[in-house]
Amino acid sequence: MGAPISIRQTYEGRHVLVAGGSGFLGKVWLAMVLQRIPNVGRVSVLLRGKGRGVKERFEKLVNEGYVFAPLHEQHGEGLGEFVSQRVEVVAGDVSRPDLGMDPAVAERLRGTVDLVINFAGLVDFNPDLREAAETNVMGAVHVADFVESCAKAKLVHVSTCYVAGQRDGRIPEVVQPKTPSGRSMNAKAELEEMLRIIARTEAENESPEVDAHLHKDVILRLEGRGEPSERRIREMVTRLKRKRLRETMAQAGTDRAKALGWPNTYTYTKALAEYLLLDRADRIDFAIFRPSIVESAVEFPFAGWNEGFNTSGPLVYLAKTWFRHIPARRGNPLDVIPVDMVCKALLVAGAALLAGQAARVYHCGSSDRNFLPIDRLTELSALGHRKWLREHGESALHKVVLARWDAIAADPDHMLNIGNIRSVMTQLTRYLRHGLPEKIPSELQEAADKLAKETDTSNQRLRKIEDVLELFQPFTHDHYIVFECRAIDRHAVAEPEFRFEPESIEWRRYWLEVHMPGLRRWCFPSYESKDRELYQPRVPFVLREPAEPDAGATETAAPANDGAGRKPRPEKVTG
Amino acid sequence: MTDETKGAAFFRAEGVLISRGVVHAATWMAAQRAGLRERAFRFGQAALAAPVFGLLGQNDRSLGSRIAHLAYRDMTADRIEVLSEEYVEDMLEDKILDSGVELLKKARAAGYRTVVLSEGISEIMQRVVERYLQGKRGVDDLVCNRLEYKDLKATGKLLDPIIGGYEGGRWAQAYAAEHGVDLRRSIAYAGHGPDLLLLSAVGKPCAVNPDHTLRKAAKEADWPVVDYSA
Repeated sequence: MGAPISIRQTYEGRHVLVAGGSGFLGKVWLAMVLQRIPNVGRVSVLLRGKGRGVKERFEKLVNEGYVFAPLHEQHGEGLGEFVSQRVEVVAGDVSRPDLGMDPAVAERLRGTVDLVINFAGLVDFNPDLREAAETNVMGAVHVADFVESCAKAKLVHVSTCYVAGQRDGRIPEVVQPKTPSGRSMNAKAELEEMLRIIARTEAENESPEVDAHLHKDVILRLEGRGEPSERRIREMVTRLKRKRLRETMAQAGTDRAKALGWPNTYTYTKALAEYLLLDRADRIDFAIFRPSIVESAVEFPFAGWNEGFNTSGPLVYLAKTWFRHIPARRGNPLDVIPVDMVCKALLVAGAALLAGQAARVYHCGSSDRNFLPIDRLTELSALGHRKWLREHGESALHKVVLARWDAIAADPDHMLNIGNIRSVMTQLTRYLRHGLPEKIPSELQEAADKLAKETDTSNQRLRKIEDVLELFQPFTHDHYIVFECRAIDRHAVAEPEFRFEPESIEWRRYWLEVHMPGLRRWCFPSYESKDRELYQPRVPFVLREPAEPDAGATETAAPANDGAGRKPRPEKVTG
Repeated sequence: MTDETKGAAFFRAEGVLISRGVVHAATWMAAQRAGLRERAFRFGQAALAAPVFGLLGQNDRSLGSRIAHLAYRDMTADRIEVLSEEYVEDMLEDKILDSGVELLKKARAAGYRTVVLSEGISEIMQRVVERYLQGKRGVDDLVCNRLEYKDLKATGKLLDPIIGGYEGGRWAQAYAAEHGVDLRRSIAYAGHGPDLLLLSAVGKPCAVNPDHTLRKAAKEADWPVVDYSA
């Protein structure tokens, strides 16, 4: 191990371009940089959209997201000025060449950017293959193209540990030469094959047979509703065709992924992006950064911060319902890592890259250094709910019985698995809606309707959760995977607040006092189709417009080297 | 005031400070295990300790303790920790003997080093001390049973020394030597037959809610006997 890297010194005066910065991880990273590395030169945040739209979107992100709350508290009305001095928002889109940026802006950034961090990714596990290809694969290619065209930029590509696919055992921090199914990988050929699959699926959808089939389907659906107009039929066929295309595309992606040993399109496309990057190893300087399952923050921006439909969330949510058989194999790890630890490791990897000391691949997980078996996680979730229900249960039934219901890790084929439960609920809903005798008291009918509505809603919720569980089943049940996580330790870090120390997580405390309260506040509402909680700053943040692009270019590109490889802090960008 | 000049006050938790014993805790814990079969089996196992205490408890309580604590076998440390918190909050709240707590406070106020001895497990007893006995402000030392763990699961065994047997007296002597406590100036409150050695080791013994064996011994030795139920 060499001399410790100072994170603040390394980023001082540096210009970082961030793609996909509006996601869960990206926002925590940005907030951490602004709060803990205020001497950073400039952070250009690439956001989808055009003109003023992106500025307003960024302001909304900063104003409504609790992740920026500590910054609001710290700077108050000075936040606008503070952020505007350090952040510029750039309209663009990674799925387009030159990242979809205005040519002048792209040209300016090419000369000044030191580090590009690509967070962009479609995290839907089984998306339309075209969308996954656009963002996860072509997005990575376009970012790499841009980096290659820059004067000095280096790249941190954010991937996922789960590119390991359906393997078992310890996964080393390398890009595996073969696919999980054991085939050798030619990235270019695979990209072409993926594009061929997309073209073929599109062509199949346009075939006269599909048209005829859908036409017949529409006629059947409209039967008994009077004579439909030709226009109506055409519209319905077009709609169904679009839907069919999305479904067949999703299926085509899954099929290809599974053929090569990846469990879903997400991991397949993320892996393909890595292979494509590897082909450029002699042309650009890059590191692949693979977090595992990113979850609630330990301490930054505050304990418990979380967002969206994450991975452990559905498992934890399930543990609070009457459903108690969580599909998981006892002893298998679930590699959970708090988001703030990921951001610290990412900052270290970026600093190492800037310092010319980076490894090619960094895993960022906990299974290697602080093992958390899934059955422990299941039990902790049940115990956490027990504690919560004792105090907040809606009824005595919840406080006494549901609190002691105790979710357990069970085989996915268990008789009481989520699929079977859903199937029973579907039957029940159908019976309540259509199976009851016609002449029953109106009160009974009303109660049946109400119950049917409830079972239907629960069913839809369970369906969403079932999808996530199914996608993670390869990792929670079918395969035993430990992600080696040692590369980051090659870099000693001077500042304690940036050190990556997963060993410090005390899982019981984390799960019961940090993660579950975080999920309850920030994630469960979205599972229950409730509105998410929005932050309301005392003084709304407004991003100042930069001066003319040239002036901005001068401000960010021109800082002279201070002699130690660093540049002085840029002057204020005024609007 | 120093330990050398004043001595220590030893309190046996069960019967003196708390009106519930280890069988209650063990059966309650067993009834909270994951899975109905496991609950029933372990509950039965823990309940077996009750007749053992009934038969042998006035002479030796370590066998009963060992049996009761078998209920913890294969229970995870997470579950024991979380349930201990619930047990102490919900089940012991009205089982704390105020008269005993008063004795403890008085001893503390009089400058004694206060020591609580318990057959209960550390996960429960530490919380009892924190929640009901003013933590470190009320109790200098807690000596209780400790579960053995392997791979974050309880084995159902207790680590030595097992509190509840006849070791109380020997333990008190060792404690006194280690902390420079003058046993002749020390007091002890206890209520079970096996606590005889502990009571005999100190200068001011007191039998609290004693069982038959201890009551008889206290009478013979002319020790004060205190009875209270709250």
